Amino acid sequence: MHVDKKTQKYDRQLRLWHASGQTALETAKVCLINGTATGCEILKDLVLPGIGSFTVVDDKIVDGSDVGNTFFLVPDSIGKSRAQAVTEFLQELNEDVKGFHFSENPIALIENQPEYFLQFSIVITTNIPEKPLLKLADTLWNAKIPLVVLRTVGFIGYFRIALPEHTNVPFLSLEQYVKTFNFDTLDSMDHGHIPYVVILLKYLEQWKQDHDGKLPSTSAERNEFKQLIQSGKRNADEENFDEALSSAWRACTVTKVPRQVEEIFKDSSCENITSESSNFWIIVRAIREFVANEGQGLLPLAGSVPDMKAYTSGYVAMQNIYRQKAKEDISIVRAHVHDILTSIGRSVDSISDDEIDSRWLRDSQENIVNYVLIRAMDRFYESHNRYPDAATFFLEDDAEEASEEARSEFSTLKTYVNLLLGEWDITNYPEHLDNHIHEICRAGGSELANIASLLGGMVSQEIIKLITRQYIPINNSIVFDGIRSMSSSYIL
Amino acid sequence: MSETQMQTDLQGGLETAASKDWPGRWSHLYKILDRRGPFADPSFTPDHGDEILLNTCRVLVIGAGGLGCEILKNLALSGFKNIEVIDMDTIDVSNLNRQFLFRPSDVGKPKAKVASEFIMKRVPGVKDDDYYLGFQLIICGLDSVEARRWINATLVNLVDGEPERIRVLVDGGTEGFKGQARVIIPTITSCYECSLDMLGKQRTFPICTIANTPRLPEHCIEWASAIHWPKERPDIKMDTDDPIHIQWLYETALKRAKEFNITGVTYSLTQGVVKNIIPAIASTNAIIAASCCNEAFKLITTSQPYLNNYMMYTGNEGLYTYTFEHQKKPDCPVCGNERVTMEISMEITVEDFIEYLKEKQDIQLKKPSLSHAVTNEKIYWQSPPIFEEKTRPNLERKLLEMVKQGDEITVTDTTLPISLQIVVSYI
Repeated sequence: MHVDKKTQKYDRQLRLWHASGQTALETAKVCLINGTATGCEILKDLVLPGIGSFTVVDDKIVDGSDVGNTFFLVPDSIGKSRAQAVTEFLQELNEDVKGFHFSENPIALIENQPEYFLQFSIVITTNIPEKPLLKLADTLWNAKIPLVVLRTVGFIGYFRIALPEHTNVPFLSLEQYVKTFNFDTLDSMDHGHIPYVVILLKYLEQWKQDHDGKLPSTSAERNEFKQLIQSGKRNADEENFDEALSSAWRACTVTKVPRQVEEIFKDSSCENITSESSNFWIIVRAIREFVANEGQGLLPLAGSVPDMKAYTSGYVAMQNIYRQKAKEDISIVRAHVHDILTSIGRSVDSISDDEIDSRWLRDSQENIVNYVLIRAMDRFYESHNRYPDAATFFLEDDAEEASEEARSEFSTLKTYVNLLLGEWDITNYPEHLDNHIHEICRAGGSELANIASLLGGMVSQEIIKLITRQYIPINNSIVFDGIRSMSSSYIL
Repeated sequence: MSETQMQTDLQGGLETAASKDWPGRWSHLYKILDRRGPFADPSFTPDHGDEILLNTCRVLVIGAGGLGCEILKNLALSGFKNIEVIDMDTIDVSNLNRQFLFRPSDVGKPKAKVASEFIMKRVPGVKDDDYYLGFQLIICGLDSVEARRWINATLVNLVDGEPERIRVLVDGGTEGFKGQARVIIPTITSCYECSLDMLGKQRTFPICTIANTPRLPEHCIEWASAIHWPKERPDIKMDTDDPIHIQWLYETALKRAKEFNITGVTYSLTQGVVKNIIPAIASTNAIIAASCCNEAFKLITTSQPYLNNYMMYTGNEGLYTYTFEHQKKPDCPVCGNERVTMEISMEITVEDFIEYLKEKQDIQLKKPSLSHAVTNEKIYWQSPPIFEEKTRPNLERKLLEMVKQGDEITVTDTTLPISLQIVVSYI
């Protein structure tokens, strides 16, 4: 049998996303705003697997520092258009891919001609200030084009994907959503991608019908329920059914408020709300009210869905259902907060909506501080047109080395951090905050090749997942800390 | 032995002109290297780290494949000047979707040579040498478990009780959307061998399924290669690189699949199953290689704390990393000093015991040879042939006849540089 050159070349990746994914890649048009080291790394990882085309929008002229950290530039590139120079070297990687460059100021382009970006299937930005970014995000969002926003500085990186909701998925409650699946008529591929939550609910419904509306309660009944799920499996390799089986015990358990939370509800500070009560206890009391009334004994929904084997579209639909429910729950809790505030004579604005929300989304992981720092650094840039850049950290015996300039650099950045924390109503001060501020001052807006490559790889993986519509993309932000080699995922 | 083997295609000696720096070349790196950091090691000295450290630091890169290409690029851009690379492969067209230092015109050429020439051309000032002793750091970007076990055991044995002989190993590996990066400080941290049981077990299919009740296309392919080939073509040794052989297997598997109404047997799947092909993409290699190089940079410059000692990466469902300290195994056959006690049946034959050792997930021996630790009596030796022949009759004997309760067995393996002491406890 003759295997064509292209199949041979792409063999190792076709085993992951097959011909359908490859065709999707080959018809995708990717736009990169700013041909930075990180931007070029993303394109490298997309050009190699054979993306349709890429376009670099950048009006910068290559300088020595660009050549120092970008593999797709050589000393002779200095003084030339960065968009053109990187495009030529990236193009070399794969003759199947078309490369274009547009030496235009991206900010001006966004300002004057945002419709330019509507021709692409996905747009990636590196180092774009907040204001033009918001306009671009708006334009793309309305056109349902995914936008990836990326930042790296020193050993820290962060990216966020703005993915418009798929309007072709009708908005349904979870129960209605389950009913859209007719298990018997699905082909084997689709059958193997039914989200496990749907499988569980479907069979639970069937069980309840046969058992006077009761849940499986004894261990014999639970085993019987598992066998019912097992019987629906078409072949041994349907992982989604395995996921359903391993979670079957949850479906058999009556959901209750966890004991620890019950304890908090019983605390006297929660019982006796006065005008002196802290925001925390007011919110806890509001949640207690929710549980006792609208929640019918359940806590408000957190709105996050665990990863599961599913088609992207199916997963996104599930997420929407969960998120919509979570939103509704939060708005009820918010109403309770307002009632309590009124009853103790405080203004309803004295607890912001964000604070109520952030209690749900609060993540104990230290990595979020890196996100705060990157945003603060961007604020610094907006008003100074440069990044914080100074040696501000010293060991005890040489502390006097710190110059007046460095001290002011540190305190200015810290001011922006505090401003942001204030805006977001974050009262619990991040640990070791000063150290993280020192580290950003030290990094001085630098872009390290290793971090560029690492974040570039992560972003290109996500773009491949979005374009091929296979595997599960992130939702919606990743912060990577190259000092501790740790990443965290946040919904921001 | 592995060293000479792997040196075959070693290229180098291509001294380039002294490093030509241009204004601003290292300005990104100098921010980090010229300033103290709150997380940096107290011994870190802010003083153009690359001049004093990176210039004198010699790094060995093992593997010039998907990970290797990325590693070489990152090291060069991170200021490392003395980089040496070894690889015994030549370039294949299926490498081009990720091994970006190679072009279609390079197909068939040795990887190490083409990769190092490309790097020297693109990043001026990087030197490349043709010998590999005296490295501060070794970075492994291999797809072979066996080669890694060799390197790991070699570096552990090198220490020989003298801490100054410790050479740090940074190891990366990928498979599809997943991968891991780790830092191994031989004899101090857990080593590659300590974590063997973390490797996913190779996918194997029960022989009865293959023979009688095939359900998957893979079952049909296994049948064609494991059962039908030896029967039909006993005189021809199967060569999985020979397209004609693959074609035969594909057609045979396809016929069997039709018989059982199984769909999905393709040429590509046939090739994947018989060659045990691991999917590989550019982006995962970029992530893992960059993580390895980031650790290498931090280790050498002390500008930041380094990874202690394992980062796992999963990208197929969201993006998830797990960073943790993998613990040393006290009875690790390479870096441990404790003997392993094994509980085995009194009825077990020598042959079954050897099978048991081969299948044990945390040891994974290939061709174990056994001797009595005290009397040195050979229980079974795989080689040389003269000993194999002599000890072969022992295979059918019960182990109990040769090794008493509480006795110790020395196990060696010609394919691995390890030696294992097993205390036998019969149950």
